[in-house]
Amino acid sequence: MIAVVGGTDGEGGLDRLLDEDPADLYENAPMGYFSAVPGGRVVKANRTFCAWLGRPAEEVLGARFQDFLTPGGQVYAETHLLPLLRMQGAVREIALDLRRADGSVLPCLVNAVEVRDDAGAAVLLRATVFEATARRRYERDLLAARRAAEESEARSRVLQHVVSDLAATVSVEDVATVIVQRSRAALRARGAALVVVVDGEEGGAPGLRFVRTDGLPPTLLEEFRATVDRGLVRELPLGVRSVPLDEALHRSRPGLAAAMARAAVTELVVVPVTADSRQLGVLALVLGEGVGDLISLHEPGERPPLPEADVDLLRTIGRQAGQALERARLHEETSRQAERAAFLLEAARLLAGAADVTETVERLAALAVERLADVCVIDLVTEVGTRRTAARHRDPARQRLLDELRARQLPQRSDDHPSVRALAEGRTQWVRSPDDAYLRRITVDEQHLAISRALELAGLVAVPLVADGRRLGVVTFGADRARGSFTAADVEMAEQLGLQLALVVAKAQRYDLEVRTSHELQASLLPASPPEVPGLGIAVRYLPATYGVEVGGDFYDVVPLADHVALAVGDVVGHDITAAASMGQLGSVYRALLVDGPAPSAVIDRLQASWSLLGLQRMATALFASLAPATGQLRMASAGHLPPLLLSGGTASYLPVVPTRMLGAPPAPTPAVEWAGVLAAGDTLLLYTDGLVESRTADVDEGMDRLLQVAASAGTSEPDELLDRVLAELTGPHRGDDIALLALTRR
Amino acid sequence: MHRDRNRHGLPLRAGRVTRGQTWKPVPAVAYCPGMGSVRERHCVTTSGVPTGRPMVFAHGFGCDQGMWRFVVPEFERDHAVVLFDHVGSGRSDLSAYDPVRHDSLRGYAADVVELLRELDLTDVVFVGHSVSAMIGVLAEQMAPELFGAMVMIGPNPRYVDDGDYVGGFSRADVVGLLDALDANHLGWSAQMAPVIMGVPDRPELAEELTNSFCRTDPGIARQFARVTFLSDNRSDLPGVAVPTLVLQCREDAIAPDPVGVYVHEHVPGSVLTRLQARGHCPHLSAPEETAAAIRDFLRG
Repeated sequence: MIAVVGGTDGEGGLDRLLDEDPADLYENAPMGYFSAVPGGRVVKANRTFCAWLGRPAEEVLGARFQDFLTPGGQVYAETHLLPLLRMQGAVREIALDLRRADGSVLPCLVNAVEVRDDAGAAVLLRATVFEATARRRYERDLLAARRAAEESEARSRVLQHVVSDLAATVSVEDVATVIVQRSRAALRARGAALVVVVDGEEGGAPGLRFVRTDGLPPTLLEEFRATVDRGLVRELPLGVRSVPLDEALHRSRPGLAAAMARAAVTELVVVPVTADSRQLGVLALVLGEGVGDLISLHEPGERPPLPEADVDLLRTIGRQAGQALERARLHEETSRQAERAAFLLEAARLLAGAADVTETVERLAALAVERLADVCVIDLVTEVGTRRTAARHRDPARQRLLDELRARQLPQRSDDHPSVRALAEGRTQWVRSPDDAYLRRITVDEQHLAISRALELAGLVAVPLVADGRRLGVVTFGADRARGSFTAADVEMAEQLGLQLALVVAKAQRYDLEVRTSHELQASLLPASPPEVPGLGIAVRYLPATYGVEVGGDFYDVVPLADHVALAVGDVVGHDITAAASMGQLGSVYRALLVDGPAPSAVIDRLQASWSLLGLQRMATALFASLAPATGQLRMASAGHLPPLLLSGGTASYLPVVPTRMLGAPPAPTPAVEWAGVLAAGDTLLLYTDGLVESRTADVDEGMDRLLQVAASAGTSEPDELLDRVLAELTGPHRGDDIALLALTRR
Repeated sequence: MHRDRNRHGLPLRAGRVTRGQTWKPVPAVAYCPGMGSVRERHCVTTSGVPTGRPMVFAHGFGCDQGMWRFVVPEFERDHAVVLFDHVGSGRSDLSAYDPVRHDSLRGYAADVVELLRELDLTDVVFVGHSVSAMIGVLAEQMAPELFGAMVMIGPNPRYVDDGDYVGGFSRADVVGLLDALDANHLGWSAQMAPVIMGVPDRPELAEELTNSFCRTDPGIARQFARVTFLSDNRSDLPGVAVPTLVLQCREDAIAPDPVGVYVHEHVPGSVLTRLQARGHCPHLSAPEETAAAIRDFLRG
C-alpha cells in the first residue's frame, strides 16, 4: 500500500522533478562541467566541479583549468588535449587527475569540445568531467598487471637469450662474454665483469681471474680487483648481494667508494656463479646514473632496491653461467690436454735430436713461448757458475726486454727470486699473481724492476732441472696479463718439460766432460807442431769428428833420429776416451821402441808381439816409416793401414805398401812386409787416416780416388798448403771420424 | 576524388615546380609505405616554392606534422616547406624505431641530418617545437653545413630542475606524466577512435585522431616521453652557430619564461621574442602571431 501511495505521490514528484530547472541541472549535474576561453582560463563552472575540487566558485573562475591538474596531467593537457582539440574540435575520455584543495587527487575522465567562430577560430572550450576513481583504479591495476607480465616476459626473454647464446659457447671466454653482455643489457648496468675462481698454488687459497670486463672505468676496475682479491671469495655463499654506495661503504672501503663515486656508480651487485652448489666465480654488475644520455628518474643518491624479480633473474643467470663454465672448462681441458700432449711430444723430439746443449735449450725456449708461456728463461749451472743460456719472449717486440734480462745472471738476483728459490730448494715455484710489491722484492735495482713491470706478468713458474739428484739449472716460465695466470695443468706441463730438459742437460754435461777430457788428453799426446828437420818440410793436422763423441784414437808422430826421421800415422779403433788413452799408450811404447832405431816392419812386429803385454784394449791400424833426409831413402810398413800417397812432379799415386794385420788383431804367421824406395827431391809424401777418405756418403775407394785428384791438382808441394787444400776439398763441417794427416816434402 | 588540400589541410597547388629527383609533387594524400627511403621513413610532405629557402618544421612530443597546418600556408608562398614525423610518431615508419638509437635525442637528430641530406637541402631554416628545438641544436652540431637558421618554439634544454637551474619539473612530475600517458593509452584504442569521434561525415578527423594517438605504440610514446623529459642539453646551447629565434609564450607550463631566457642567454646571438599567445603550442593557438614573429626574424 505504501508503495502504491508513494508511487502515486512519486509520479507527481517525478513530473515535477523532470520539469527541471536547467540552471539546477547544470549546477548539480552528476558530472563536472566547465567552460574556458582559449588558453584554458575557466569562465564558467558548475557546482559539482567546484565541489569536486573542494574550492569555492570564485577560486575556480578566472584560474586556468590546467592549474587544477597534477603536473603530469598538465603536460598531457598541453601536449595532447589542447593540440587535439585545436585540430579536431573535440576529445573524449581523456584520463586526467584533478588536484583538490585538500591535496588529494581525484581521477577523472574528461570530454571536451571546442566552440569555433565562422572563421574557424577557437572561441570557447566546453568540458565535462566524470569521476572515474574505480575505473581508473581498475585500469591502473590492469596496467600494472600488464606491465608486470611484460617485465616478466622480458626477463624470460633475457634468460632465453642467455641459454641459447651459452649453448653455442665453447670457451670460458665465450661464456663470460655472453653473461657479461646479456646481464649488463638486462639491468641497464653501466658495466659488468665475470670473475672466476682458479686453482690456488699448492696449499694456498684459490685465486681469481677476471675473464671479461665491460664498461668499467680503469680506476674502478683496479679498486674492484683489489676488493675482490681481499675478500670476495669469502662472501660468495651469501647469494646475490647488493653493495650500495653509501656512508657505510665509504667507511669500510674508501678506495672502492671513491672510485664508484667518480664513475657515477651507485650500486655494485655481486652474483654468485655456481654449478652443483660449487662456487665457480662471481658476476659483478655496476649500476648507476647516466646510462645513455638520460637523467635518472631517481633523485640523486636515492635508488630503489633491486626488484626481487631481477634478483631472481640474476641468480638464475649465475647458475646458467656456472653450468656453462663447467662445460666450457671441460671442453677446454680436453683440447688443452691434447695440445699439451702434442707439445710434450714435440719437445721430446726436439730434445732427442739434441746435438749441442746451448742450441737445444734455445730451441726449447722458442718452442715453449710458442705453446706454453709468454716468457721462457733457462739458466744452467756450469763450472763457472750459473749461466743464462736462453731468454725468449713470445712477442718479438718484447724480446728486447728478455735480452736485457739475459744479461742479468741468476747469482745477481735476490734470494726471493723464484728461479733462485727453485734452484736452491730443488722444488717448483709457482707465483700466481706477481703484484708490484712482489716484483719489487725479487728485483735488484730500478732498471730490473722496470723491465719486470714492462713484462706485465700475470704468473710465474720456475722449475728446477734435476737429474740424478744434481741441480743442473732452472727453467722459468712467465705468463702475461693477456694470457692470464697459469693453471695447475700448465704447471704440471712445465714440470714435465723440466724433467725432460734435465735429462738432456745431464747427458750433455756428462758428454761435455768426456769430450773435454778426451780432447785434453789427445792434445797432450799429439805433438803440437812437427819438429824442424833440415831438408824436409813437414806439416801435420788433426781434426776431431763432429758427430757423436768428438774424440778419437787417430795419431801421427814425427821423430828426428840420428840419420833419419821416424814417421807414424795410426788410428786406434773407437771414438772415445778409451781409444784416446790407447792411442796415448801406443804412442809412448812406439817412442820407446825408437831408441834402437828399428826398421818400420820391426816396429810393427815388436808391437804385435807385446800387444797383449801392453794391455791395450783396442786394436789399431798404423803406418810406420823412416826417411833419410839426405838421400831420400824411404822405408815403410803398414799394419792394416791405408796406403800413403806420393805426389811427384804434379802426379799423385798410392805407394804399394802391403798392409799386414792390424795391431792387436789375432796373431797371423806372416811378419810385417816392408816397402823401400826413394823420395826424390821435391816429392811429397802424404800419410793419412781413413777419416779423410771415408764418409757416410762415400766409400773408401771413392774417397781415395778423390784424394788422388785433389792432390794432383793442388798445384803445390808446400806441405801446409797441400793439407789445407786436401782438407778443404775432402771434408765438410760435419765429420763422422777423426782425421790425422802428415805431409812431408823433401826439399 | 579531387581534393585541393592534403590530409593536413595543406593546400595542393597545380603547376608545382619540380627540382630534379628530390622534389616530387606532393600527392593528395601523403603515402607512406612501411619501408624504404628516409623520406618514407619520416612520411615527408613537401610543399611551397621549391626554389625558395627551405624551411623544415619539426613537431614536438605528443603530436605529429599536422601541428603545423595553421602556420605552414604563410610560408608556402615563398619557401620550400618540409614537414615530417619523427620516427615513432604520426605516420612514420614504426619499424624504423630503434629502442637504442632513439633512447637519446642524438638518435632523433641523426634522423634529421639523414633527412636533410636525402632531400639535398642546405641553408635550412629549422623550426623546432618543444623537444625538437633541442633535436635541431644537436643536428646542427652534427652537420652545421646544412643549417642556415633556427627557430625554437617553447624550447627547454632540461625539464628537470637541477640546483639553481629551474626547468619547471621535478622527477616526480615526470613520473606523473608517464602515468598520465599510460592511463590514456589504456583508455584509447585504434578501433574505438572513429566511434568516439562520432563524425562519420568527416572521416579524416577520425583518421587524424588515429594517427596522433592510437597509431603511436604506447611503448614508443613512453620512451619518447622519457627521452624528452630526461634529457639535458644545456651544454649544447653555446655551440649553436646559426642565427636563432627563441619564441616564448605566456603561461607555458612546459617551457616557463625563465627557461626561454636561459636558452636565449646561452645560444650566442639569439633573439628572444615573447608572444602574446599562452600555453605551449602557439602555432596552434596563435598561428598568425607565431608566423609573423618567424617572418620578422627571417627578414631581420
